Amino acid sequence: MNKKLLQKGSIFIMAFLMSVFVFTACGKEQKAESDGKEEKKSVTLTFGSHQSGLPTSGVVQELAKEFEAETGIKIDFQISPDAQWRDLIKVKLDSGEATDIFCADTPINLASSMKFDEYCVPLNEEEWVSRIDENVLPAISIDDNVYGITFPGKKMYFYVYNKEIFERLGLEAPTNYEEFKKVCQTILDAGITPAFEATTNGWHQVLPLFETGGLYQQKHEGVYNKLNANEMDLKDIPELLTIIQQLKECAELGYFGKDYLSNSVENAKEAIATEKAAMFIAEAAWRNEIKADYPDFDIDKLGIFVMPWGDNQVIGVNPASNAYFINKESKHIDEARQFFEFLARPENLQKRLEGQPGLSEVCWPEIPGRYSEEDQAYIDTHDKAQVVQVAVNYIDSQWMDVGKDLESMYTDALTPEGVLDIIMNRRHEQAKLQKDPAWAE
Amino acid sequence: MNRKKLYPWYFTIGALVIFLLLCFLPGMIGILYSFTDWNNFTSEVNFVGLRNYKEVFAGNSEYIKYIMNTIVFTVATTIMKTVAGLALALLLTQKFIKFKTFHRMVIFSPQVMSYLVVGLVFKSMLHPTTGFLNNFLRSIGLDSLARNWLTDLKLVFPSVMTVDTWKGMGYIMVVIIAGLLSISPDYYEAASIDGANFWQKFRSITLPLLKPIIVNVTVLNVTYGLRVFDMIYSLTNGGPGNATGVINTAVYKEFSKGNFAMGTTLSSILFLFVLCLLYFIIKSMENKEVDM
Repeated sequence: MNKKLLQKGSIFIMAFLMSVFVFTACGKEQKAESDGKEEKKSVTLTFGSHQSGLPTSGVVQELAKEFEAETGIKIDFQISPDAQWRDLIKVKLDSGEATDIFCADTPINLASSMKFDEYCVPLNEEEWVSRIDENVLPAISIDDNVYGITFPGKKMYFYVYNKEIFERLGLEAPTNYEEFKKVCQTILDAGITPAFEATTNGWHQVLPLFETGGLYQQKHEGVYNKLNANEMDLKDIPELLTIIQQLKECAELGYFGKDYLSNSVENAKEAIATEKAAMFIAEAAWRNEIKADYPDFDIDKLGIFVMPWGDNQVIGVNPASNAYFINKESKHIDEARQFFEFLARPENLQKRLEGQPGLSEVCWPEIPGRYSEEDQAYIDTHDKAQVVQVAVNYIDSQWMDVGKDLESMYTDALTPEGVLDIIMNRRHEQAKLQKDPAWAE
Repeated sequence: MNRKKLYPWYFTIGALVIFLLLCFLPGMIGILYSFTDWNNFTSEVNFVGLRNYKEVFAGNSEYIKYIMNTIVFTVATTIMKTVAGLALALLLTQKFIKFKTFHRMVIFSPQVMSYLVVGLVFKSMLHPTTGFLNNFLRSIGLDSLARNWLTDLKLVFPSVMTVDTWKGMGYIMVVIIAGLLSISPDYYEAASIDGANFWQKFRSITLPLLKPIIVNVTVLNVTYGLRVFDMIYSLTNGGPGNATGVINTAVYKEFSKGNFAMGTTLSSILFLFVLCLLYFIIKSMENKEVDM
């Protein structure tokens, strides 16, 4: 009898304690919510990005701290490796687990882009929209609705090279592939890695294939429109296969060094600053990043020349870069808008340009750019053309996959022809999956 | 047995409903979706029969390679972890070893580390020029053994499997130690009196009595090996190229491409494969359990 009473008593006490816990927990939650309405101190915005989405100098994080001091809204940065970000953000958005703000590559208006109009908050009403360079707006808009805020100006990739090493070895900047090979061989013979290459980030090795769009446009009129209309395929551009073959040849001849398959883009600064390597594909202002990390290195001895793959001499211009978007599912949309408004203030745009050494200009015309006279003169004397990935569907969406295909080619698991076949097949697969009318049977 | 003391069957309803709703039903729906063209680009879902399965098993598809890689990874890591775990467990239950608990803790510690951390640490340790391993080999004059551990096609998979074994063997060791400690010392004593040496005792006492534990360990290793993702994702991201891609990295890739139907097809294949394999492993091993 006593035992039964004891059992019943303990059950009663347990039930009572559990109810107390439940009600206390609910009470606390309500209190937190009501506090949040009075002052926004408890709000933390999550900000997801890949490594390249945020300047390595940490200027965005510094601006976020200033924003926090002004408004009390914290920004929690969640940074993922470049090679994994595209897949990760898509999976997170699809599963409803994405951050309040996220960074993604632009343009967002290609048929092959993620469905930004379904995932993001439209920002047309914001004051700052009218201040962005109008040439850049299409890259962050879908059907005239602006979905993101972007800062970097147009991108142009060159071979950044050490003029001193070239002079010492009696070399000049090459203007075609044969000259490039000769230059590489001479540098290699001098015990220096000719062209630093890094495949672990997944994107860098793909640049020669699609930043040379000007070459394809010169050789094949209307090539971008024809590719989008499925009237021609990538195999109809023999120069593309030639470039893939040339990459393979250079890798085999040792022009990319021994460890290019283990290197990451971040190691390039050290390689160039310590003169272990003589060339690297980068934007002109990337030199300033070296200066920031290696103040003793004289960056004036670095020059630029057009990537001569396939004898290309046209500078590829990419008006798109990356942008920040507000997740439609976020509980703090107003706070995120407030953060964007803060970033778009002229003084903060200036800070952003100054705080990101690798940036030549921002896409906000009110802030003057900072190309050197020498660079500007070089750029002015060359033809310029839009790069492939911003104009042709189903290229940018498979950029990282192409990076892996090239890795396979370098390890002899694929031939250059095999790489091209896979890129074409992936385009067809994506187009059919999206029921692209140009691919209708 | 007093039947009145048994709990009534309907006590299980709560757990069953939760299990059915949260585990079984989504799993079944996933399998159903593998017979459709479900993707991220259209809200329409059409029945396509076995098309996705045919695509997976078509002649030169990449998926076959991923399936083979998964099997190789599972078989190799299961053997390596069991052998290493068993050897360590035997060693760390010997009387002559001092500070046994400390040693066990050190060997077990990788198990509690995140896969991502282990992946990133080993990625840097195995770098051909700046990595610890090659630098160590060079410093002791073994330059010829320095290799591209994570980019050489011949070495990358063994390297990944070795790292995975390093991380997982501590757990297996702990489970086997528990099994070893449950074996009565009387058997060993009797065998010693009969003049049995270490190997004879191991073969005739330890191994047969450890069989149930080894079955469990094998099941754990096989299910882990077939579902492996984190270790490969963080260490090589399936590279170089797709050389170390496994089923789950392919599932992830398909989902991120927006091809959900193919993702569920690959998951379904993995699910059925794991189910069949486990059934046979358990069936074949339970018959041979030793009666005490």
